[in-house]
Amino acid sequence: MLGLGNPLLTDDGVGILVVQGAAAARCQRDDVTFAEASVGGLRLLDCLAGYERVIIVDAIQTRAGRPGDVHRLHPNDLPATTHSGSTHTLSLPDVLALGRGLGLALPEDRAIAIVAIEVEDALTFGEACTPAVAAAIPRAVEAVLAELEAGEQ
Amino acid sequence: MPQRITIDPITRLEGHGKIEIFLNEAGDVERAFFQVPELRGFEKFCEGRPAEEMPRITPRICGVCPTAHHIASTKALDDLWKVEPPRAAKLLRELVYSAFMVEDHYIHFFFLGGPDFVVGPQAPAAERNILGVIAKVGLEVAGQVIRVRKECREVIQTLGGKVIHPVFGLPGGVSRGMSEEERERFLETAKFAVEFAQFALQLFDDVVLKNQAYVDLVLSDIYSHRTYYMGLVDEHNQVNFYDGNVRVVGPDGNEIARFAPREHVEPWSYVSFPYLKNVGWKGFVDGPESGVYRVAPLARLNVADRLATPLAQQAYERMYEVLGGKPAHATLAFHWARLVEALYAAERMRELLEDPEITSDAIRNVPTEIPHEGVGIVEAPRGTLIHHYQTDERGILTGVSLIVATNHNAAPIAMSVEKAARGLIKGGKVSDGLLNMVEMAFRAYDPCHACATHALPGQMPLEVLIRDAEGKVLAVLKQ
Repeated sequence: MLGLGNPLLTDDGVGILVVQGAAAARCQRDDVTFAEASVGGLRLLDCLAGYERVIIVDAIQTRAGRPGDVHRLHPNDLPATTHSGSTHTLSLPDVLALGRGLGLALPEDRAIAIVAIEVEDALTFGEACTPAVAAAIPRAVEAVLAELEAGEQ
Repeated sequence: MPQRITIDPITRLEGHGKIEIFLNEAGDVERAFFQVPELRGFEKFCEGRPAEEMPRITPRICGVCPTAHHIASTKALDDLWKVEPPRAAKLLRELVYSAFMVEDHYIHFFFLGGPDFVVGPQAPAAERNILGVIAKVGLEVAGQVIRVRKECREVIQTLGGKVIHPVFGLPGGVSRGMSEEERERFLETAKFAVEFAQFALQLFDDVVLKNQAYVDLVLSDIYSHRTYYMGLVDEHNQVNFYDGNVRVVGPDGNEIARFAPREHVEPWSYVSFPYLKNVGWKGFVDGPESGVYRVAPLARLNVADRLATPLAQQAYERMYEVLGGKPAHATLAFHWARLVEALYAAERMRELLEDPEITSDAIRNVPTEIPHEGVGIVEAPRGTLIHHYQTDERGILTGVSLIVATNHNAAPIAMSVEKAARGLIKGGKVSDGLLNMVEMAFRAYDPCHACATHALPGQMPLEVLIRDAEGKVLAVLKQ
């Protein structure tokens, strides 16, 4: 279970907070790695290689979303492109495609789940989430734990 | 009439970089602008915190170069407390930093810069990527790229103390030394990195330099700017990523400034386009009258007299021979310079690991001075990175400014895009191939635009908008 984002940018690190919450609730598990990373693009490969299954928890902003909404997504839901202008710009499907092309052991698409929390402010430095996002964290923890259980059946 | 294409931007988390190219009535390029989104309130966020938290806070700013921020910040703390780290601590910091440069430079070359040359500048976008590169050079090479990056990351993680974001830098030293067993293991990594670096330069030779069309492209005027250059050098004017003095050379290669980081520091205001004050701002133009300067790999090689390691020095000499002397002004030669630097960094890793003092236990001098102000500078992969802190007498931050590589290069990036666009886009005609060739002008710099730390919503694009004389969007170029 991989939480992504920047914990210093207000709502941006909510994925990390959710993974920490899930880890606390399931701390006796030793077959699950609870990890966090403030990286994107190609460096995600380094986090995913060698795992059979992954649940990625991240912040998102969508056009119609309201802060605090919890979305369940699949890598195929994300726009793909293998064309990149800088190290900052690779999407998850690209990263997976490239990694597989390179022969890395990566989880299959069906073994990748994404739980995304709609956020309000991800550009201002701050360590606390905005109220609607903070209120969504327990729900999001439930969602990722349910996801974990679902994949085990 | 050119077709007008409008693409509704996808929603995104962290803003996006934007380049806008404006065409005139005739459909030729009038102006180009480069814009990066700004994260808000960093200074305010830091003020009131203990300065020693900065090496753990600042790596979070960027998902691409956390190690560069960690080391720049650690050095700013040395300066803040006026404490000199023991030699072994400096060796360890530079080792971690060199390993970081190796792995970061290869990400850029093989995944980003390489496809334009190995697959072709006007090849279909679907093939112009790392997989296209592998199709040309073979899967075995891919395995080597993965291996060299993986082993370098292990050096960073073992010594840095944490996956991705190092935590080992302390004012006056580092928190962890190196065992003999680790030294031996990392020495194997360094040797492999040197071999691989030579291979990568050979590949560049075979693929780019043996193809006259590519050499012409690299040397062509549309990808060239006669600017000033800035970078760190050691006491012998050799490139140094970790430490040294700032040297600035003019478009003719003559030194116009050389100073220790502390000497020229004043509280900065954030300006969109920094320039050399003594030369002055003359707008987005190059030449000796314009204070525009460049940083990053080619700039570093341009400001230095030589490289400190033997194999890299050979590669350095050969590069300038082909480019027609120093300084080289060809923007696309940033890619070549990157490979020369990766060889230097690998050789430097080996040198550092062969230094018997690197396994010493003397890795920290505890600060005793009262802090006031500190500056730390390193050469990040994408150029000079400056951290500047002010504190009260307890070490609580009262002022923080950072200048990151893309700040320095912001004006040249805009100029490079504009010049390439002027040379390539005529009469309002744009094709994917031409747009990629415009994009190559900024890809060489690998500009940072805010900080990608996500898998969602999919990408953190840098958009290029091409507008006609009425400001209507003619085309959008987006990764």
